[in-house]
Amino acid sequence: MKFTLFGVNIMLPSDVLAAWVFTLLLGAVVVFLVLKKKRLGLIWEYMVTTNHRKIGILYILFGIIYFFRAGLDALFIRTQLAFPNNDFWVFQGEKYNEVFTTHGTMMIFFVAMPLLLGLMNTVVPLQIGARDLAFPFLNAVGFWLFFFGSIFFNISFFLNMTPEIGWTGYAPLSTEQFTPGAGSDFYIFGLQISGLGTIFTALNLIVTIVRHRAPGMKMTRMPLFAWTSLITSFLILIAFTVLAIALYLLMFDRLFGAGFFSGTEGNPIYWQHLFWIFGHPEVYILALPAFGIFSDVISTFSRKRVFGYPIMVLSVALIGFLGFMVWAHHMFTVGLGPMANTFFAITTMLIAVPTGIKVFNWLFTMRLGVIRFTTPMLFSLGFIPSFVMGGVTGVMLSVSAADFQFHDTHFVVAHFHYVIIASTILGIFAGLYYWYPKITGYVLDEKLGRWHFWTFLIGFHLTFFPMHITGLEGMPRRVYTYDDSGGLAELNFMSTIGAFLMGVSMLFAIWNVYKTYKEGRKVGNDPWDGRTLEWSVASPAPEHTFDPMPVVEGIDSFWFAKSAGKKMPVTDQVRATPLEVQSILPFLIGSTLFFLSLGLTFSWYWLSILSAFILFTLLVVRSLKDEREDHYGRRK
Amino acid sequence: MKRLLVMPFLLLLTGCNIKVLDSRSDTANDQAFLIIYSFSLMLIVVLVVSILFIRFVFKYRYTEERKDNIPPDVKGNKWLETAWVIGPLLLLAILAVPTIMMTYDQSPVLSTESEQEGTSVQVTAEQFNWTFEHANGKTEQNRLVIPEGGTILLHLKSEDVIHSFWVPRLGGKVDVMPDRELVYEIKNPQIGTYEGKCAEYCGLGHTNMKFEAEVVSADEYASYLNEK
Ligand code: HEM
Ligand SMILES: [Cu+2]
Ligand SMILES: [Cu+2]
Repeated sequence: MKFTLFGVNIMLPSDVLAAWVFTLLLGAVVVFLVLKKKRLGLIWEYMVTTNHRKIGILYILFGIIYFFRAGLDALFIRTQLAFPNNDFWVFQGEKYNEVFTTHGTMMIFFVAMPLLLGLMNTVVPLQIGARDLAFPFLNAVGFWLFFFGSIFFNISFFLNMTPEIGWTGYAPLSTEQFTPGAGSDFYIFGLQISGLGTIFTALNLIVTIVRHRAPGMKMTRMPLFAWTSLITSFLILIAFTVLAIALYLLMFDRLFGAGFFSGTEGNPIYWQHLFWIFGHPEVYILALPAFGIFSDVISTFSRKRVFGYPIMVLSVALIGFLGFMVWAHHMFTVGLGPMANTFFAITTMLIAVPTGIKVFNWLFTMRLGVIRFTTPMLFSLGFIPSFVMGGVTGVMLSVSAADFQFHDTHFVVAHFHYVIIASTILGIFAGLYYWYPKITGYVLDEKLGRWHFWTFLIGFHLTFFPMHITGLEGMPRRVYTYDDSGGLAELNFMSTIGAFLMGVSMLFAIWNVYKTYKEGRKVGNDPWDGRTLEWSVASPAPEHTFDPMPVVEGIDSFWFAKSAGKKMPVTDQVRATPLEVQSILPFLIGSTLFFLSLGLTFSWYWLSILSAFILFTLLVVRSLKDEREDHYGRRK
Repeated sequence: MKRLLVMPFLLLLTGCNIKVLDSRSDTANDQAFLIIYSFSLMLIVVLVVSILFIRFVFKYRYTEERKDNIPPDVKGNKWLETAWVIGPLLLLAILAVPTIMMTYDQSPVLSTESEQEGTSVQVTAEQFNWTFEHANGKTEQNRLVIPEGGTILLHLKSEDVIHSFWVPRLGGKVDVMPDRELVYEIKNPQIGTYEGKCAEYCGLGHTNMKFEAEVVSADEYASYLNEK
């Protein structure tokens, strides 16, 4: 569709038009509902909050919204690939390239990350007996940076300037010479802003876990989700810093012709190194917290403590450490030479060892236990075999000479979806079902939960299993069509059916949330017969928790106290707690970065300078105030 | 020797005729061997985990009799835990040996470091075309003709962004970089016509950046070179 606005000719393809119509309609419905139910106050409350549970809810809410958005992309991809030589709607050529770019980028940065950060935000303080994260204000800043980064990335689609450089943004394709449009800038700034927020939140979690544990909650007594959150936060700190550097250099290349990644001085390989030094640890950033969730869930629903706690912690640390030594396994075909290829093949294989330890320890946690098949446990049980399948294809990929064949085919697409969906996504579902009572006060319906689980699991295997074979049949990734040869037609069609089944399963999830909300059956503190501290506080967790403060005497001490028929001992000797504030500054800080980036993207430098100035003013305003002074007095 | 080991698996798989495994050169054959070898080793892992998983989940499930059962407070087991450190390490060692051998044999190297002898072809990739230039200067677009047997040395260079050269039946991929020239060897290709494609996303026309690879007899190759 073409039309003229303010004397500018605007061309809107039908998919973008559909997005506008859909978003405006949905927006109207939401505004109507908010006004009708008089909920403006609630929205304002969440905009100014610095409470960890509320910020966690915001992360989770947007993570789920983006999951539907990126899932829709996945359905477009699968519909286009349903038949050989198919032409579905607009998704050929350029549009297909856009749709896999947004799908991948959003799933990683705006779905998996916020959902995990949201769960950490809500649950970690409750698990270790902290009243909030160490820096509540910074926590809010972290969330709003994520929010504005993701919005910045998303508006590109509505302006028909979607990035089309894949989620990996390889140079020189991503440099100005080959993608002169604004799309790649939306990718750069969107990730840069949200990544900054992620770094802040990681710092916050580290300080919280190190400094704000309840009395007696030694590091060696922490639940495994708290442990994995800690180690993940360290990984984020390093990996996202590297990503920030890479994006920064690419920004200089694009905006000011710096030439880090092209020309005679620069080199496109540098981008790949930087990107994968971030990118490989990133997959562990996604997987490790999920491992923590599974450990807690499996232990709770087997009525047993985690088998081999010390080695479970150690293996997470080892995975995190080795995770930084394997990045070039994404670059076997680049020509780094036999030495480098061998080195990275071996380190990659080594990672399988700590991962294997964890799998066996989960299995032996269940041994001799009493296994209750609740929805969170079903997701955890679904995880074990599915994840092992993804793990073993990972070992196959590490065989560098064999990877010359696997690389950049649908075999790889199958592998990483097996790993990410089995660990991260199933882990997030397990965590959401498990902690839903602690977040909202209601427990989700078990029957619909089972429907959700089984349709999702079957759909997932149906979608991705055939891709192993299509990859070996010579189907590269990131292609929008294929010829009917070697069974490609049947296998791809199976994948598409599976994808739609997963889509259906998500409808069960929504229905479940709606039904639970309608029925509104409140639950008590401890609906699952839990083992860790979060089940000792009210559901939903109140703003002021742990009053009086419990004293922890060992691993799972809440459960052991409970089964001995005793209460946990308490104390009033507590460390000064972080103070919640109400402030709109975090929101404003995020929005100034949004406009700063917008200005840079379109060379409206006045806007950037103005935003930078306002940002600086906001930071000054913030530095002049210390809310703890009113409470604890001025430091001498 | 290697080929003997692969035979039973290949026979099993010829039914499905999967392109990457149905190799038509020694290079691709070695890779197919590695794929099947690693797959078989990994199958052991999957089986062990599955058996334990099914057994434990079934045996220790919640039942009416076990409703109030409080399981023993097991903290861990040194021997078991050592076992699943050592076991996987051994398995990986078995996997690592052929991996290292073939990685040394097959990894693409810089043109300047290549010491191999064979039939050289200059491969130039650009958005979205392949150009093949033979020793005597004969060039053709999107059709690669090479002689059977012997060693083919592909010298690859890109004019613009990164591409990747891939003929699944003849061997794995090698990236075609704008900043360096790489050499990739294909050993002992067999006569036939195979599809080749770009495997690294390179922009708008990536999907259609295909070519044909034709392996012909030495005589035919000689006459091909002399054709106008
Ligand atoms: C829910 C169902 C999903 C389906 C049906 C699906 C489907 C696909 C398909 C078919 C591709 C390959 C596109 C191509 O190369 O041509 C793809 C790429 C990708 N997917 Fe998914 N996916 C799903 C969920 C996820 C999730 C949960 C994540 C991560 C959290 C994810 C991350 C990615 C990434 C990173 C890529 C690579 C994009 C690129 O090549 O730049 N996907 N997906
Ligand atoms: Cu990796
Ligand atoms: Cu290409």
